Amino acid sequence: MTLETEVQSLRQVPMFRDVDPARLKLLAFTSERVQFSGGQRFFSQGDPSDAAYVILDGRANVLLNTPGGDIQVAELGSNALVGEMGILSDTPRSATIMAAEPTTALRIDKRVFLELLAQFPQMSLAIMRELAKRLERTNAQLVAQSSS
Amino acid sequence: MEKSLFRYIWTHSRRDQLIVCAVVLASLPFYFMSLDLPRQIVNQAIQGEAFRDGNATAPFLHLSYQWPKWLGGGTLEIFEGFQVGRLGLLFGLSTLFLFFVVVNGAFKYWINVAKGILGERMLRRMRFDLFSMVLRFTPDALRTVKSSETATIIKDEVEPIGGFIGDAFITPIFLGMQAITALVFIMIQNVWLGLIALAVIAVQFTIIPRLRRELLRLGKQRQLESRQLAGRIAEVQDGIEVVHVHNAYNWERAEIGHRLFNLFSVRLKIYNRKFFVKSLNNFLAQLTPFFFYAIGGYFALRGTLDIGQLVAVIGAYRELPPPLKELIDWDQQRLDVQVKYDQVTQHFAEERLAPLHEPREAAEEDVPLTGPLMAEDIRVAGIHGDMIIEGGAFTVDLPASIALISNGGAAAGMLARIIARRTSEFSGRIRIGERDLMQLPVSVVGRRIAYAGVDPILFPGSIRDNLIYGLRSKPLGRIEEEKREMDRRIAEAIRTGNPIESIADQWVDYERIGARDENDLDRILLDLLDRIGMGDTIYLFGLAGRIDPERHMALAERVVEARHRLRETFQSNGMADLVEPFDPERYNSQATIAENLLFGVPISDEFKGRNLAENGQFRSAIDRAGLTDDLVRMGLQIAETMTEIFEGLPPGHSLFEQFSFIGAEELSEFAAILRRHARGEGNLKREDRTRLLALPLAYIEARHRLGLLDDRLMARIVEARGRVREVLAKSASEGVEFYDPEHFCAAAPLRDNLLFGRVSYQVANARVRVTEAVATVVRELDLLEDIERIGLDYQVGTAGRLLSPQERASVNLVRCLVKRPDILVIDGAFAPFDEARSQQMLELLLELLDQQSLFMVLPNDRQAGTFDVQLRFRDGQIITEKTAAPALRSARPEPDAAQRVAGEVA
Repeated sequence: MTLETEVQSLRQVPMFRDVDPARLKLLAFTSERVQFSGGQRFFSQGDPSDAAYVILDGRANVLLNTPGGDIQVAELGSNALVGEMGILSDTPRSATIMAAEPTTALRIDKRVFLELLAQFPQMSLAIMRELAKRLERTNAQLVAQSSS
Repeated sequence: MEKSLFRYIWTHSRRDQLIVCAVVLASLPFYFMSLDLPRQIVNQAIQGEAFRDGNATAPFLHLSYQWPKWLGGGTLEIFEGFQVGRLGLLFGLSTLFLFFVVVNGAFKYWINVAKGILGERMLRRMRFDLFSMVLRFTPDALRTVKSSETATIIKDEVEPIGGFIGDAFITPIFLGMQAITALVFIMIQNVWLGLIALAVIAVQFTIIPRLRRELLRLGKQRQLESRQLAGRIAEVQDGIEVVHVHNAYNWERAEIGHRLFNLFSVRLKIYNRKFFVKSLNNFLAQLTPFFFYAIGGYFALRGTLDIGQLVAVIGAYRELPPPLKELIDWDQQRLDVQVKYDQVTQHFAEERLAPLHEPREAAEEDVPLTGPLMAEDIRVAGIHGDMIIEGGAFTVDLPASIALISNGGAAAGMLARIIARRTSEFSGRIRIGERDLMQLPVSVVGRRIAYAGVDPILFPGSIRDNLIYGLRSKPLGRIEEEKREMDRRIAEAIRTGNPIESIADQWVDYERIGARDENDLDRILLDLLDRIGMGDTIYLFGLAGRIDPERHMALAERVVEARHRLRETFQSNGMADLVEPFDPERYNSQATIAENLLFGVPISDEFKGRNLAENGQFRSAIDRAGLTDDLVRMGLQIAETMTEIFEGLPPGHSLFEQFSFIGAEELSEFAAILRRHARGEGNLKREDRTRLLALPLAYIEARHRLGLLDDRLMARIVEARGRVREVLAKSASEGVEFYDPEHFCAAAPLRDNLLFGRVSYQVANARVRVTEAVATVVRELDLLEDIERIGLDYQVGTAGRLLSPQERASVNLVRCLVKRPDILVIDGAFAPFDEARSQQMLELLLELLDQQSLFMVLPNDRQAGTFDVQLRFRDGQIITEKTAAPALRSARPEPDAAQRVAGEVA
């Protein structure tokens, strides 16, 4: 697997869909490709947010820490982006991510990511667009919930 | 130092000056003989004057002395000489001439060497004297004196003085005698012509020095300006951060430019004036022959002067100007040097120096500083004349821990400095037991009192060097050195007023701190560092350190053993994929291509980084392995990718530095290479290929993931290792130390020697897990202390800049603690630490200084409860308050219930 395949993966991530290919290549190049064994944590809830991950291959579980123990709230598959909210909002991890099987991910360092955003407005715009969409979706869900 | 340079020279080199002078005088007869011989050879041997009366033989080496008339006349025959023929006389005289040439040469050589040595010795003495004075600068003087200026003075400004010293007395005597001889000769021939010559000389000697007075003033100005330039440059560099922060480049540039212009102007003036004086001098020198020709000729025409006499006078005058000119030059040099000397002595003026300490240490009793400490009527004035402490007084029983609680003013800090003997600018008395604190000899103070201020001053060198700085008050044992060399060194030291101690001697006082030897001392240092919270740092420094396997053979072997153990641990714990070991038969995908090709660590610079691509031996090896074209092709691919993805980033962006193979400034150059390549393979220049070749050398497949390496290529690179090794071995190059799984690699840091491989870039969290595993094995094999000991060798850099502020402060504190002072004074040394850490440190200090005293300045009384006694400062008075039950020192006898003892009010 080379840089090119990673760029292909990044392109599948909604947040990066509109980003210039050369920039995606830079993002991939400045990131690290890391392997997690099954059961190994990407990070734990409450950790400081230092990186975001794109799953290239494998699956990971999203776990929430509750008084009754960890509960799984979602499962992430290939091309999923995780941990990006923490590095954008500079808040601790809101959930634990654990590899469900041997998993390969692209680790995007927080500092590098923010620097790229600062440097290339086009990238920032793409991110904002995606965040705005998410907000819209959440609003829609809220409306749906309150009306039901 | 003496006010006058000549007195200084005379005081310290009288004997040598006289010896050289005597030899110069002794050489003169030989010199004159050699001048006279050519005439004799021509007249007597060749023209045959000695055989004029028909003699077949003439005496050779005939020595006789003609008594002067007033002693009755007559001739004293010393040696009748050999009777030789004409040819014999010619060869005899010629051989004699050769003999004198040799003798004169020998004299000249000896005199030059002696003068040179004399000058060098005096220079050494002068520099040492000046340095001794640097150690004596008063605090007041230190506020105004710039260190860089002092450095230029000691290094540069005294240099010409040293060069002059050899000539100081000898030259004027020698040249003066020559000039006087010539003048007397002229006088004898004709008084009037003699008087004319004398008059012109008199004019020369009055006018020229007058004209040169201005030159001296300018010289003085020049010296000051260049000294200030040196000072300013050092200031800017020391304060470079402020220059960067405030963008003051232009201002600083203009400032220095202005100084250089001033310097240039002064030098220009000096230049003009110097050559004007020189030409005037030449003119005056030529004026005399004019008089001789005009007036002498007139006398000759009138018949009052013999033409032969006139020719002789003019001939003699020709001998006069060179010594005269040199004499005037010497005088110029003398004045020049005198000015320099004056400037130097002004910098070290007496009022800037503290009085000399008498070395009367031996007589001093050296007993612990314990007992009642009584301070009476302490008065300290501030810089602006206000009173910081006015009639303060207190009494405490030492040993004790005393908090000096600051009232926000300078009083607490001042008192701390007074107790640490850092200042004597106060009035009043402080006694410890029977002894006056201010009268304690410096040696006792140095041993028994330690002071740690806000600014931890570290010297370049290892951490160990800095820690034991306080244990080196005098040499305690001699290291065996070669007898002759030692005698020579000591004799020179005595001759030049330098210290006779060698820094190679054993200076460290092991006994004082209860250490048996070097290793024991290291153990004590490490224990203190560990307790102060620097243990982990030292361990990391140790892992990053290198050792010489010849010196630490046992350690090197154990590290190799640990290497194997580590590998086993990785294998058995399922961590095998965390580290990819260096294997002679396999490509290491976590390492660079360069490392894979060399399979070793570069030692010399020509094998490091991009230099490798230009290294002839390396190039011929990969040429032979047929890899050059592959590497260039990879270089092209890397350059293509880099120019594509880094385009648009502003130059100097941190991402360039961190990730790019190509610097921002090279991007366009590589773009040009790529364009040339696109037009056809053959368009690449030789340099282009070298530059492209350099790129893949830093490529790590696992990290950069450009997919440039396939299995076949990796296999060929592994194969090429042998070639590289072969070529390097053939040229006996010492540039690379190769990896060997069974041997220690001296060029690599300890960490790499332990791992003997590269941590995987691909496995999440690999680095942390490997670090833990290494630590475990190190502990198991009992290597921790050895590694930490290597950590003590870590170089702290200029002023300790390679350490963090906390590390600097820790080193400073341990330096104080290791000498086990009776009194430790701390004023702001905890500043870099947060409150929790400084509380820990305080508890540690109180624990360590169980039997000693601690004075500590506190910003408020939050921590004061742990001290036996609290001193507060109010309206210039000192208020003593004993803590009822010190939080930590409960074992101590209970002090009296809290009572306030007001200081005596002035």
